[in-house]
Amino acid sequence: MQYIILAIFFPIAAGLYLLIRKESENRKNLLLCTGAFLIISAVLVVIALFLAGGRMYTLFSLTDKLPIIFKIDEISVLFSVMTIIIFLCAGFFSFEYMKHEEKEKRYYGFYLMVLGVLIALCFAGNLITFYLFFEMLTLSSMPLVLHNGSREAIMAGLKYLFYSLCGAYMALFGLYFVERYGNTLTFSAGGVISEQAASAHGGILLLVAFLMLLGFGVKAGMFPMHAWLPAAHPVAPAPASAVLSAVIVKAGVLAIIRVVYYIFGSSFLKGTWVQTTWMILILLTIFMGSMLAYREPVMKKRLAYSTISQLSYILFGLAVMDAGSVTGGLLHVLCHGFIKAALFLCAGAIIYMTGKTRVEEFRGIGKEMPLLLWCYTIVSLGLIGIPPTGGFISKWYLAQGALSSGIPVFDWLGPVILLVSALLTAGYLLPVTIKGFFPGADYDYNSLRKKEPPALMTIPVLILTILSVAIGLFPGTVVQYLSQMIEKII
Amino acid sequence: MDFVQSFPAISILLCLFAGIISSGLKGKAARYMNTVLILTVTVLSACTLLYTLGTGESYVYVMGKFPAPWGNEIRVGVLESFMALFFCIIMLLSLFGGMKKLTEEVEEGKVFLYYVLTNLLLSSLLALIYTNDLFTAYVFVEINTIAACGLIMIRQNGRTIEAAARYMIMSLLGSGMLLMGICMLYDLTGHLLMSNISEQVALLAASGEYRIPLLVTIALMSVGLAIKSALFPFHAWLPDAYGYSTVSSAAILSSLVSKGYIFLLIKIIYRVIGFEIFDNSRIIDVLFVFGLMGMIFGSLSAIKENDIRRMIAYSSVAQIGYIYMGIGMGTAAGMSASVFHILSHAATKSLLFIAAIGLTDVSGGSRKFVDLTGAAYRNKWAGVAFTVGSLSMVGVPLFSGFISKLLFAQAAVQNNGKMLPALIVLGISTILNAIYFMKTVIRIYTPANGTGSCVTFRSMKLYAVTLVCFIVLNIILGVSSQPVVDLIEQGLAMFS
Amino acid sequence: MIMIVILLPILAGMLVPLIPFKKRSHMEIFLEALVILNSLLVWYMLLHRAESIFTLANFTGNLSISFKVDGMSMVFAGLVSALWPFATLYAFEYMTKEEHEKVFFMFYTMTYGVTLGISLAANLLTMYFFYELLTLVTVPLVMHTLTREAILASRKYLYYSLGGAAFAFIGLIFVIIYGSTTNFVLGGVLDAEKIGDRTNVLLLIYVIAFMGFGVKAAICPFNSWLPDAGVAPTPVTALLHAVAVVKSGAFAIIRLTYYSFGTDFLKGTWAQNVVMAITMFTIVYGCSRAVKETHLKRRLAYSTISNLSYILFGVTIMTPLGLIGALSHLVFHAVMKISSFFCAGAIMHQTDRQYVHELDGLGYKMPCVFGVFTVSAFALMGVPGLSGFVSKWNLAFAAVESGNVLAYGGIGCLLISALLTAIYMLTIVVRAFFPGKDFDAGTLKGITDPNWKMLLPLFVFTLFIVLFGLHSAPVIKFFGDVAAGIY
Repeated sequence: MQYIILAIFFPIAAGLYLLIRKESENRKNLLLCTGAFLIISAVLVVIALFLAGGRMYTLFSLTDKLPIIFKIDEISVLFSVMTIIIFLCAGFFSFEYMKHEEKEKRYYGFYLMVLGVLIALCFAGNLITFYLFFEMLTLSSMPLVLHNGSREAIMAGLKYLFYSLCGAYMALFGLYFVERYGNTLTFSAGGVISEQAASAHGGILLLVAFLMLLGFGVKAGMFPMHAWLPAAHPVAPAPASAVLSAVIVKAGVLAIIRVVYYIFGSSFLKGTWVQTTWMILILLTIFMGSMLAYREPVMKKRLAYSTISQLSYILFGLAVMDAGSVTGGLLHVLCHGFIKAALFLCAGAIIYMTGKTRVEEFRGIGKEMPLLLWCYTIVSLGLIGIPPTGGFISKWYLAQGALSSGIPVFDWLGPVILLVSALLTAGYLLPVTIKGFFPGADYDYNSLRKKEPPALMTIPVLILTILSVAIGLFPGTVVQYLSQMIEKII
Repeated sequence: MDFVQSFPAISILLCLFAGIISSGLKGKAARYMNTVLILTVTVLSACTLLYTLGTGESYVYVMGKFPAPWGNEIRVGVLESFMALFFCIIMLLSLFGGMKKLTEEVEEGKVFLYYVLTNLLLSSLLALIYTNDLFTAYVFVEINTIAACGLIMIRQNGRTIEAAARYMIMSLLGSGMLLMGICMLYDLTGHLLMSNISEQVALLAASGEYRIPLLVTIALMSVGLAIKSALFPFHAWLPDAYGYSTVSSAAILSSLVSKGYIFLLIKIIYRVIGFEIFDNSRIIDVLFVFGLMGMIFGSLSAIKENDIRRMIAYSSVAQIGYIYMGIGMGTAAGMSASVFHILSHAATKSLLFIAAIGLTDVSGGSRKFVDLTGAAYRNKWAGVAFTVGSLSMVGVPLFSGFISKLLFAQAAVQNNGKMLPALIVLGISTILNAIYFMKTVIRIYTPANGTGSCVTFRSMKLYAVTLVCFIVLNIILGVSSQPVVDLIEQGLAMFS
Repeated sequence: MIMIVILLPILAGMLVPLIPFKKRSHMEIFLEALVILNSLLVWYMLLHRAESIFTLANFTGNLSISFKVDGMSMVFAGLVSALWPFATLYAFEYMTKEEHEKVFFMFYTMTYGVTLGISLAANLLTMYFFYELLTLVTVPLVMHTLTREAILASRKYLYYSLGGAAFAFIGLIFVIIYGSTTNFVLGGVLDAEKIGDRTNVLLLIYVIAFMGFGVKAAICPFNSWLPDAGVAPTPVTALLHAVAVVKSGAFAIIRLTYYSFGTDFLKGTWAQNVVMAITMFTIVYGCSRAVKETHLKRRLAYSTISNLSYILFGVTIMTPLGLIGALSHLVFHAVMKISSFFCAGAIMHQTDRQYVHELDGLGYKMPCVFGVFTVSAFALMGVPGLSGFVSKWNLAFAAVESGNVLAYGGIGCLLISALLTAIYMLTIVVRAFFPGKDFDAGTLKGITDPNWKMLLPLFVFTLFIVLFGLHSAPVIKFFGDVAAGIY
């Protein structure tokens, strides 16, 4: 119990402390503090994972029917590990990056709070706890988006806020009905909707299930409520974009996993209009995200569109509701997390070193910072899905699951769209590599200067790159772990 | 026969004689005479009331020992004596409240005339209340009209003379119709005493003969009295008459004179035509509809008005609408609500008139709303009194207006057909009342930039005391209304 | 006992202008002591309540002015008496900038007694009486500044309120005539035999009376007085137009629905659908207007309009659960809204800024005030862990449980409104804390948080918001008992 509480509330408290502490001139002091907090948080989470797994803890009750429950299950492990790794990497990256931004204290304060809230989301044991921290996530991550205070950033922050809240309220609508017709709000593998309720109130339950998917889907950038994402992610400072794009949006994915597999249960939703409609939306999102990314000249925006598309890969895996595809989806959670974080950090490093933001300005950048661009290239290949990177494995499972699911039309349409999207992914990611390493004949080699970013930036990128490749090289343990879990929920 | 039984007759005669005597007195002496007279009549009425309450039944007092059908009879019940008592109190207070203004507005040499007229008016009111004889009623209606005209005209300027002329014409039209009605009744039944007529009318109605003439008679008498009491479409004379006459006259006219006619109408309904027969005639619906229209249009005119006195006058139109609505409901509950409203409106309207005069006086005599800004700070007593009156008119609990509203609404609920229109119009009319009265209250409590003269208590003792009496009367009616309502019901029961 | 708590503030209030206080602080101490004393008395009375009805006076027939402490009274009187001392404390500081304080405090204190009168009334007539009185004693507070605007606003307030009462009065009459008793009885007092075949008429009357009382609760076509009445000094806007007056409207509707007409009679009829649709519309309408509004207090007033209809929505569900939802929002919203209004008042008092676009960057200058404001904004949005969520939860729960399809739509309205609430509240918060890059902090020089008299109430309210949000079970259980008629 106390481990979970510590793991959740230590980062939040630390964040609050940073927020209210006096603005000090001494930057080093602040960084030390933050670094220590980050590491302690990570350690606490690991401790909690080892010592508190499997059991359910009730913190207190909001009302007599609404307990705040925490429980660590396999999904929690998966998401919390990813969260911690990416937060550490991006956190250390920002020690360097944030030099050229103002109000660092506020940034780190909210950064830590978001971390705590995300951990809480991973550990949440019932829908109401989840919803509570879901709202907190929106509220605490908004300041990261509008950090630089430009008009554009503030508008993007508000857009993010209102889209997210809108989604949350749609989900809340469903929550009310689940509370009524479900046996319990506690997440339990296979769902909480009893046979009787399902047959008596099937119509309304399907409707609210759809609303909840749509609502939580907002956070995961699902069409039609995706417009906030390309606005909000690019304006944040690069490390913040990295966590936003790699982890925070995954909260939406986590939510959908919980709703589909732990609340409604796949057997209830399988083959209904909800599944069909949802899949249509997902496939639309995949294709549209890739297309938009392909046409986007600004690097960070391009990556944001890519996030939209990639997240829907994961959702597609979940929507097919086949063991294989779900494995693929969950694998992709990890892969995409590491890859997208690495990509954003790369983009951030480039901005930090050269101030260039548009893809066509990136000519010769590989010559200036070869290590960084190599990392970039490797993770890009991963996202495209070229073996032996992690992306390949996850997409393999996705496609295989879809083909074997036996859902008419979608069993072949899904893989086709995945393929097209992979091509598009190559189309929007690789030009950077090409331009960077092969600037063309007219490139002025004389002005070339080595500008490799400092170690505090390259090492996090490197770690993330290695992780993404490692999943591809040694998928066995992860896949095994996942399939054990999936057996339980399907 | 107890001596008390002759009190009503004595008081009527006293008033008549006092009128004659005061014509020979100077202003001040006439005033004393008048005060003493009203006090005496008050005491006498109170005795009568106690007596009738004690015996629990009404009695008939035959004047001059001639037996019916030639004699002249007085009929006294609980309601009659209570009305007489109440009217006396209101009249006394109204006179006190307007006393100072009276000396300013009326020529020194004519003051005694004013008291002559009041004495006559009182006598005629008492006679209207007590009489059991239609023709006597008619005679006193005429005396009443003439006295009222005089009261309007006594303040001699162009507008009052015009108003008096108008009043005269309308009133005479009304009394003409009443006279025709009485003639026709006499034709149909051969009687002039109320009790005798009612027996004959009941027979006629039962036999089904003379249906149309009977209907016409009812119509003539109702409309005649309606004109005289300024029911909605016949109210054109009222705003000028109330608005420009001296304040005591306005108070007396609005709260007593028109109420006297209404009381006569109620009496005719019960004692002459018979409640059942009246209820079955169409006339009752006409009265009801006119009452409703009066409630709305009277208030609308009041909202448009920019002169505080005329606004209050128009409000009377609306209030008379209430009373006719109650009568028009055709139930005992509606009738007692109407009678209660006669009392409550009498107490409130004279209060408002007298308070208004206090406010206009401290605003340079101007009656425009713009000039009244902040008047309540300059004359605190009048301000409070006007507020109380307004609240009562709007129907705020604690004040008499609320009780009458309550009674009207309760009566309305018991009548299937007329319930919804009555309730909705009641609601709307409350809002309209609130609009013009509250607007005024807010206006007089808004501090003005220019400093007007402030009035101290010392300079208006009588006035302030009068206002306090009115307020107390109003609150008594509002808080412990139950005895009064019981009394009214008892009195109405004695009518039939 | 009941008479004491009602009359004490009224009489003491009347005395205020008559007592020649040597110093302002003497008046402060006198009033504060009085208000606290009265609140203590109220709480004592509520905890040791007498079951019997206390009759003061008889009007006509069986109509009387009588008082009784039942569950509903406990909720409302408890709420009012808990908030009043803080609001008075706040008012002392706020009113240093305004004139004619004595008159202000006179009516302010009188209102306390009158509001208690409403909550303790044992029958419809008594409640109606105090209801009218409430209008009258609060009008001077609205026109306090005596500007043209204030006078127009108070006129409007008066017309609306008295007009509403006139229609509510019709309902009163019907309950008197068709009820077996005029006292409040949970479950209604209508006598089925007396009604006979006039059910539809009575339903119509219910709707009319609902609208009539609804004027004070600012339901949709009759809401425009509330934003206008915001010209009053902020303690008035906060306490009266977010709590006492408007909640009296809601309270009266609860009395009308649950204690007079009775839910058995109304449930499932067209009347229920009509009034529910009205509240649903108001919920969304109020929020939308709030989003458009740029004046801070008016924005909050529109927010009040919407939130009041939350309460009424709960009432119109017409189940005990609905009543629980309504009561919890009645109490919680009071705390949230008074807290946010006090923040607005503190801002006006310290900076004289009234419009949302003038608040840029103030968050750093007045961290306490804006911190509190942020909490109340979150609470109004319904962020879990704060009180707003609990009440919304209860409302939605009742709606789902009722199985009424229209009520499902109502949940949708609640959530749309929550989103709009987020928009109009958080834009303020964001402006205050994130003024943007090109913002010149120099323009805010010298602005600080107000002194303790203003801050203390704010902190206490915030504490309650969090407390109710985290641990509402005992309160909700109490509401449940009230709704079940145990008290």
